[in-house]
Amino acid sequence: MSKLIQNEMLKLIAKKRLVVIAIIIGVLVALFTYAQYRQVQTQQEKLGTKDWRTILQKQIVDTTNRLSSTGMSDEWRRELQIMVKQEQYYLDHNINPNAPGAPTFVRVFLENSIGLFIPLMVMVIASDLVSSEYSLGTVKLLLTRPVKRWKILLSKYITLILAVSLIIAIAGALSYGISGFVFGFKGWGAPILTGFNVTKAGLNTANVKLLSLWEFLLMDFGLVWFVAVVVGTLSFMLSVLIRSTAAGMGIMLAALISGAILNNMVSSWNSAKYLFMVNLQLTDYLAGNPPPIQGMTLSFSITVLLFWWAAALFVSFFVFTKKDVY
Amino acid sequence: MNKKFIRLITAIGALFCLVWIIGLGVTFKAYYANKPDKIPKVTKVPEAPKSKKELRIVALGDSLTRGTGDETGKGYVGDIVDEVKKKTKRPVLLINLGINGQTSSQLRQQVQQIEVGRQLQMADCILLTIGGNDLFRGGQGLQDYQTKQINVIEKHYLDNLKFILQQIRKNNQTANVFFIGLYNPFMDLAQGKEMAKVIRHWNYDSAEVSASFNKVVFVPTFDLFELKVNDYLYSDKFHPNTKGYRLIAERVASLLTW
Repeated sequence: MSKLIQNEMLKLIAKKRLVVIAIIIGVLVALFTYAQYRQVQTQQEKLGTKDWRTILQKQIVDTTNRLSSTGMSDEWRRELQIMVKQEQYYLDHNINPNAPGAPTFVRVFLENSIGLFIPLMVMVIASDLVSSEYSLGTVKLLLTRPVKRWKILLSKYITLILAVSLIIAIAGALSYGISGFVFGFKGWGAPILTGFNVTKAGLNTANVKLLSLWEFLLMDFGLVWFVAVVVGTLSFMLSVLIRSTAAGMGIMLAALISGAILNNMVSSWNSAKYLFMVNLQLTDYLAGNPPPIQGMTLSFSITVLLFWWAAALFVSFFVFTKKDVY
Repeated sequence: MNKKFIRLITAIGALFCLVWIIGLGVTFKAYYANKPDKIPKVTKVPEAPKSKKELRIVALGDSLTRGTGDETGKGYVGDIVDEVKKKTKRPVLLINLGINGQTSSQLRQQVQQIEVGRQLQMADCILLTIGGNDLFRGGQGLQDYQTKQINVIEKHYLDNLKFILQQIRKNNQTANVFFIGLYNPFMDLAQGKEMAKVIRHWNYDSAEVSASFNKVVFVPTFDLFELKVNDYLYSDKFHPNTKGYRLIAERVASLLTW
């Protein structure tokens, strides 16, 4: 088994996919860092102060004023109300929600990339893991060996998991390293709040917990990894089912992008919450952002994703062991 | 390709895999198992930095402070800041805490917030508009302006006003407070004259309360809007327009010292 995995890893590294992914992440992080830097600069120029309490207080008042305008959709109003309440909570407890420094940048980067960017990077590896063997014809060489088929597929799957773990690590290291030059490398110990519950009545602050940023980041990374594994498994399944890598990638891409779009407009379509792509924003639960559909919770989303994961895994192994190869 | 290198990459991948699984475990533990923390609320207004370069103007109140109706979006507060910027070399920082539709009861709540208290503490000059929403209540007040109801509303308002000014003085003994009085937006309407009477009385009582505090200046605006009221009102016939705000700003600016 370990030989098989070694073999798969060799193929992965020979294809230099991880290097390509690292370069893409590096370039994007550099762009985001610069954008963030400019945003902070203009904000400080406009408000004339660096004091986060003053800035937060102004934000609260501004949002409260936006709430008073008529002709606003109910969901948007609710979202703003939750935002105001959360900001007020931070202010009342003297905690800066955006403590300056690279760790905060990493947190924001993860929260924004969990739904689309990281899954895309995972797809780059997962979508041709099996199908490329077909298109290159190497699958026959592989299957004529005296090894059970499921073992071959398992070795591929384990390689995928390892690659996903590496991608998350690369994303973390690059976003910390690059943004650190601009925002400073400190800030791991900054306090941050989690455990806000978004209910029908609004924001519930009864279960709020105080964490250090590094703990929070570890949790974020765990969730990002989980999402990446689920998305990776789904595209792995497609690469088993469909011989054409491009078609498999296209399907997965369409699903992910539709998820990003649906997130903004499914609030009244209740059964959409069983789609995997609506459940990808797991980090939002930690941060206390309202879910796309009322009533969704962290455990609900994780359960839904687990089902999709298990189904995809089952289909992959079932089909691969039964398939005729010619 | 080097075998050792592949082994190393595999090992690193496995290691991170483990770390992320631990992260996932921590998430579950923190999210479900742990008891909520008792996070201390800030109860005392934190000490503001003593030496500051900038000149701070804090504006409290309702839609007038916000500048509703002004096409330039500045309101009288923005105009005053522009004036002040001309007169001083120090950087001017405006903290506008005005909220549309705010009544005196709501402002009473707002000034008790810790951060608002800290902003007041750091202020060099404080601008205030309040009472319009108590009296007019978005136009409904027109109906019962002559009933006894108005006395109850006014008493409640004066009580709140006193509390608000006390709160401001508690946080900041030195800054000048400019309390902008009410004008009569209904001057041209049928009951305009009677309404004017109520507002004059209201303003008089407001001025009385202001006078009982140190360095609180009541700035009348009633006369500014008395003639040609419609030239100075926004299309909602309630809030001032750009010209109207400029009138108020000019009056306050002429009083400003810090």
